[in-house]
Amino acid sequence: MAFEFKLPDVGEGIHEGEIVKFHVAEGDSITEDDVLAEVQTDKAVVEIPSPVTGTVKKLNAAEGEVVEVGSVLAIFDTDGDDADSSDEEEKEVSNEEKTESQDEQKESAKADRDSDQVAKKESGTPKAAGQDVLAMPSVRKKARELGIDINEVSGSGKNGRIMLEDLDSFKSGGAKQADAGEDKQKESAKEETSSKEEQKDSSKEKKSASSVAHEEEERIPLRGMRRTIAKRMAQSAFTAPHVTIMEEIDASELIEVRNWAKPIAEKKGVKLTYLPFVIKALTATLHEFPTLNASIDDENEEIVLKKVYNMGIATATEDGLVVPVVKNVDRKSIFTLAEEIREVVDRTRNRKASVEDLRGSTFSITNIGSFGGQYFTPIINYPEVAIFGMGKMADRPVAVDGEVVIRPMMNVSLSIDHRLIDGDVAARFLNHVKELLENPKLLMMEMN
Amino acid sequence: MVVGDFANEVDVLVVGGGPGGYVAAIRAAQLGKKVTLVDKAELGGVCLNRGCIPSKALIHAGDEIHKMKNSSHMGIEVDGVTINFADMIKWKDSVVNKLTSGVGSLLKNNKVEVVQGEVYFTGEDTCKVATESNSTTYQFNHCIVATGSRPTEIKSLPFDGENIISSTEALNLSEIPAKLIVVGGGYIGLELGTAYAKLGSEVTILEGMDSILPGVDASMSRMVKRNLKKLGVEVVTGAMVQSSDKSKDGVTVTAKVKDEEKTWTADKVLVSIGRVPNTDELGLDQAGLETDEKGFIAHDEQMKTKNDKIFVIGDIAGQPMLAHKASYEGKIAAEVIAGEPSVVDYRAMPYVIFSDPELAYTGMTEKEAKEAGHDVAVSRFSFAANGRALSLDAADGFFQVVADKETKQVLGAQIVGPEASSLIAEVVLAIEMGANAEDIALTIHAHPSLPETFMEAAEGIMGNAIHMVNK
Repeated sequence: MAFEFKLPDVGEGIHEGEIVKFHVAEGDSITEDDVLAEVQTDKAVVEIPSPVTGTVKKLNAAEGEVVEVGSVLAIFDTDGDDADSSDEEEKEVSNEEKTESQDEQKESAKADRDSDQVAKKESGTPKAAGQDVLAMPSVRKKARELGIDINEVSGSGKNGRIMLEDLDSFKSGGAKQADAGEDKQKESAKEETSSKEEQKDSSKEKKSASSVAHEEEERIPLRGMRRTIAKRMAQSAFTAPHVTIMEEIDASELIEVRNWAKPIAEKKGVKLTYLPFVIKALTATLHEFPTLNASIDDENEEIVLKKVYNMGIATATEDGLVVPVVKNVDRKSIFTLAEEIREVVDRTRNRKASVEDLRGSTFSITNIGSFGGQYFTPIINYPEVAIFGMGKMADRPVAVDGEVVIRPMMNVSLSIDHRLIDGDVAARFLNHVKELLENPKLLMMEMN
Repeated sequence: MVVGDFANEVDVLVVGGGPGGYVAAIRAAQLGKKVTLVDKAELGGVCLNRGCIPSKALIHAGDEIHKMKNSSHMGIEVDGVTINFADMIKWKDSVVNKLTSGVGSLLKNNKVEVVQGEVYFTGEDTCKVATESNSTTYQFNHCIVATGSRPTEIKSLPFDGENIISSTEALNLSEIPAKLIVVGGGYIGLELGTAYAKLGSEVTILEGMDSILPGVDASMSRMVKRNLKKLGVEVVTGAMVQSSDKSKDGVTVTAKVKDEEKTWTADKVLVSIGRVPNTDELGLDQAGLETDEKGFIAHDEQMKTKNDKIFVIGDIAGQPMLAHKASYEGKIAAEVIAGEPSVVDYRAMPYVIFSDPELAYTGMTEKEAKEAGHDVAVSRFSFAANGRALSLDAADGFFQVVADKETKQVLGAQIVGPEASSLIAEVVLAIEMGANAEDIALTIHAHPSLPETFMEAAEGIMGNAIHMVNK
C-alpha cells in the first residue's frame, strides 16, 4: 500500500523548510518514528520522524532543496492494506506539535494549515494573470517577481488598469488605492490644480529614485530567518508600547562570588558566567512581580499570567538573532543553568536547535554587553511583556559614602509593555533585581 | 548501468534543436546555466528545415511568378517566364542554411554544447544519447524536452517518400508535379497547394470537413476559397479518402464525397491532415512520464511535468503547434529552471496562414467575446479603402477589430489581406498592453501604409473613422 507523507507543519507558522539531510535512501526500510529527514525551517533544524513502518518508495526532494509544507515529501510502501490516510496522518503529526505550541503559534499554525493549498500555490507556482486583469506584460512579470497574485490587486488606472505603483502599494498593504483619482481631478480641475502639481512632482521624484536604485543599491530578497526577525520585531514594536528604564549595578560582590565559584564549576566541567546569576535574580524578582512574567491575549482581552519561568536567551548567530529557551529556570541550580545555557546556545549557533529549544519563553534576556554597548533599549520578545538587557561591565567612578571610588559597574535596561506594566512597577522590579545582584547572598535567601 | 558506462553529468539537457529547444537552451545559458542540447538531425528543427521557412520561400517564389504572369493590367507584359525548379530549390536551401548556421553560432556563442543523437530516458534524471555508432549515458539536473511533431499518416495513404508524400518531401521535390492531390485542407496543405498551383501544378484539395481551414472564421476563409478558384484549384470538401492505388502514372485516390465514390489521379499526393507529437520513442515511462491519448505530455503553468526535473515545451506540450508558442514556452521553462518566477502568461496567441490572401488572427472572435460575457463592438475596415493596399495591387480583404463595447478594450482581430501575418503583431501588442480602441486611434500611423487599417478599424469602434461610414 503506497502511503504519501506530506511535510507536516512543524509549528511556528512556517510554510517551507530546507531538507538538510535524509536519514534513509529510496528502497530502505524504516520503522515508525525513526528519523526520516532533518528539515531546516527559518528558525531551526527539525527532525522529521517517519509516520509509518515500511519501505521508502520515493523521496520527492533532494538534500538542500526547499520543500513546502503540505507537499509530498516521501512515498512509503506499507505492508498493511489500510486505506490511504495521508491527510489523517498529517493531522496527527501536526496536532502533536500543536498541543505544545504557544497560543500565538497555535493560531498562526492553524491559519497556515487552513491556507495550505493557497500557500502552496502562491509560493510554488506563481499565478498567471486572469484574462480580465488589465495590466501590461512587464507589470504582470513584476507582480510574479514580488510574489504578488496580480488577480488580487486593484488597479488605479483607467478601467481598473493595474500600474506598477499599484503593486508597490499592494505590497505595503494598501490594497485599495485612491480609486479613479484621475477622473476626479478632471472634474474639479481648478480646485485641485495645486495638488495635482504636487502629485506630479512626487511621482517624478519616485521615478528618479527607482532608476537610481538600480545603480546605487543592491537588492536582496528578504527570506528565511531575516524575514522572521523582521516580522517579529515589527510586530512587537508596533503592538507593545515600549518603555525602557535603565540602572547601574555595582557588580563587586557578584564578581567575587563568581570568581569563588568558578573553580568549583570547572571541576564539574561547567563554565560559569554571570548570566545564571542574573537569571536567578530575575526569576526571584518575577515571583514578586507576576505581571512581568505574562502576556496579553489581545483577542479575548485577557491578561495571561504564566506559572512557569522559561528564560529566553537572545543569541547572535551567523544567520541572525535567535532566542533559545532555558525551561523552568526557577527550579534549577546555578550550575545546571550554566550548563543548560551553554548547551542550548551551542545548539542554536550550530543550527541544531529543535523547535522545542526555541519556544515557550515567558521572559527574555539580551546581553549586548559582551559586544560593547553601554545602554540600549531592547525590543520585547513578543508576546512576552518585558525584556532585560545587560550592558557592558566596566570599572567606573561612583560615589560611595560621599567619596568617589572605582567600582565594576554593570549597566542594565528593562523594556516593558506599557499596556500591562506601569512605570512604577518597572522601576520597583529593576530595583529588586539590582538589590539581589549587588548582594548575591540575598539570592540564597530566595531559594525555594 | 553497465560497468564502465560513466554518466556525463550535465546541468540542463535540452532535447531537440527546434524553435522551442534552441531558444530554451540560449535563455538557460543566458541565466548562467550550463546547457547541453541534443538533436537527432539538424539544428532549427522542422520549422527551419522542413516547415515554416522553406515553405515560405517556395510560397514567395510562387507569388513572384504568379505576379509576373498576371500584371498585364499594370502594363507589364512578360513573355516566356520559365522556372528552373532545381535552382529554386537551391535558393530555398540557401535560405534554410543561412538560418540553421545562424542558430549554430548563436548556440556556440552562448556556450551551449551541441550533441547529435537520439535521446532515450533511462531514469528520472538519466537518459541515453544514441548515435549510429555508440551510446552515452547522461545525468541531468533538469531536462527540457522539445522533440516537436511529425506529419500524421493515413492508413489508406501510407507515406512512401516518393509519390505519397508529407510536407517534408513536398518542400524538396526534384520537379514540379504536373498533377498534385492535397489531402487535408488545413493551413499546411493550403499553403503548399497554392504555391504549387502558382508554380504550374494542377492541384486538387480534398478536405474531410465541410470547409477548408477548419477552425478559421468562415468570413476569412471565403476569400481564400475565391482565390483558389481563380487559380484553378479544385477544392472538394466533405471528402473522406477511402483508398489509394499506385501505378505507373502515379497515384489514384478514391474518396467518398456525399456517399458517392470519386477518384482522382496525380503524380504526387501530399498528405497534410495534421501532426503528431514525437513522444513515442523517448522512453517516457522510464522517466515516470506518460502521454495522453493524443501523445501530449501533461505539464503545469511553468511547463514542468510531474517529474519536476523534466519540462516539456512546444508541440509535445499540446495545441496549438506553433513555432512561436514553442519559443515562448522554452523561455519560460529555462527561466523557471534558473529559479525565476516565470509562468505561461500571455493574452493573445497570433495565428498566421500564408494563403492567398494571407490570413491572421488573434484573441477573440466576435462570437467568442460574446460567449465570454462581453458586450461586443466589431469594426471592419476594408483594404479596398487603403491607399497602400491599392497601390500594392492587393486590395482584397479586411482588418476586423473586436472590442468591448463599454471599455473599448481590444479583445481580438481577424485580418484577411496583404501582409496580414505582419499586421497581426500590432494587435497582439495592443492586447498584451491592455490597450483600448481609443489608444490605437490616438496613435499616429504612417501614411500610406497597411497598418493604417488597424487605426481606421479602431476609430470605427469609437464611431469616428474617417475613411469609412461609421455605423
